[in-house]
Amino acid sequence: MNVKEYIASGIIELYVMGLATESERAEFEQYCTQYPELVAARREFEEKLEKHASENAEHPPVEVKVKLLEAIGSPGSLKSVSNPPKIINYMENSTSASRGSGMSRFAAAASIILILGLAWFGYHQNSQNKELSNANNALKEKLNSTDSILNQIIAEQKVVKDPNVTVVNMVGTQVAPKSSANIYWDSTSANVYLVVKNMPNLPSDKQYQLWALIDGKPKDLGVFDASDNKVILQMKNTQKAQAFAITIEQKGGSPSPTLDKMQSLGKLRQNQ
Amino acid sequence: MGIPITYSEQELILALKGRDDQAFNFLYDNYAGALYSIIKQIVTDNSELASDVLQEVFINIWRKIDTYDQSKGRLFTWMLNIARNASIDTLRSKSYQNSQKNQELPDNVYKGVANQTTHLNVDNIGLRKVLEKLKSEHRVLVELAYFKGFTHEEIAEMMSIPLGTVKTRIRNALLQLRAYLQ
Repeated sequence: MNVKEYIASGIIELYVMGLATESERAEFEQYCTQYPELVAARREFEEKLEKHASENAEHPPVEVKVKLLEAIGSPGSLKSVSNPPKIINYMENSTSASRGSGMSRFAAAASIILILGLAWFGYHQNSQNKELSNANNALKEKLNSTDSILNQIIAEQKVVKDPNVTVVNMVGTQVAPKSSANIYWDSTSANVYLVVKNMPNLPSDKQYQLWALIDGKPKDLGVFDASDNKVILQMKNTQKAQAFAITIEQKGGSPSPTLDKMQSLGKLRQNQ
Repeated sequence: MGIPITYSEQELILALKGRDDQAFNFLYDNYAGALYSIIKQIVTDNSELASDVLQEVFINIWRKIDTYDQSKGRLFTWMLNIARNASIDTLRSKSYQNSQKNQELPDNVYKGVANQTTHLNVDNIGLRKVLEKLKSEHRVLVELAYFKGFTHEEIAEMMSIPLGTVKTRIRNALLQLRAYLQ
């Protein structure tokens, strides 16, 4: 065979460009094993073709490589896919492979959302628990104070309705015309109760002091504050009293009343 | 991993046959552009379709690398033929034909192909640019054989030219093409 003629026939170009028939291919490959110059000539054309193609290269869209590496990255998908995945717009669905990776991405996204959801739920539950516990404590406190107020009201009612109890209406003096309070005095048990109706607030170092006036002499019955206005106060006992007086004293009370600061005075009826 | 690696063709082939991801990365970075260009020339500048085909081609390269026989040609030649075949298959696929069915179907294949040949928008890229330098009787044959994938027999029939003439003209056309490749 004349190799030069064979080379010049165009068989190399036909073969390299994939246009040779089966028999032409077989023959060409056979000759290549025998004639190194044929291989060299083939190689020369291949390099020309490759160089030309490289010079005319055009950048493909970036997502092709991303998709491709994703497909290559999971070896199973490559072998099992009979139809290779299409490049798809992210909004579209396409072949099984891209859907597969889409599913795993979806699963990953879903599990992240689930974790975030659980974390939020846990956090929310925890803070809700704290809120409920706080609210519960507040309610307990409220209940306790309401209970004690109720008990005091019940006690007050008991005192007020007791037929043995004498009510002394304390009226304001000239120093404090608006001051008023009620004294409930049980002469049989000697218990003295006081209900503040309207007593002006005092400086924090002062307190009101209740006195019983017995034969013109004052007897200390204890101190109270203007803020004790919701409840009935049990004061010190006294067997006797012709009148009751309220004065302003130093905090804790005084041994004898400062009468010029007398706020309120209540006299018992003569027949008592 | 961050260090750029270059391969000789021999090293690249060995690494690819060893399923080396990094080698595949290198292959893509160095050849995707050239293959994308030839795919576009065949699917006539439909970028979306060309992207689909390019992906398919590289997946086929990855799957079929074991069948690549170095004694029969360079790696690029092998890849180029995979790209060409995949492009032609896509053009002939049912889904592509369906997408084109709103267009008027030609009375006979040659007339249709000839019309397409004269109305291409990709005349000035890659091999087609070189093709422009050929005489029209040669150009049409290369167009039909290389870019449309018709066999010599089909071309002879559709153009009413003896098969021997088709073969001779195609060989002459390719030899001229080669001369223009610089």
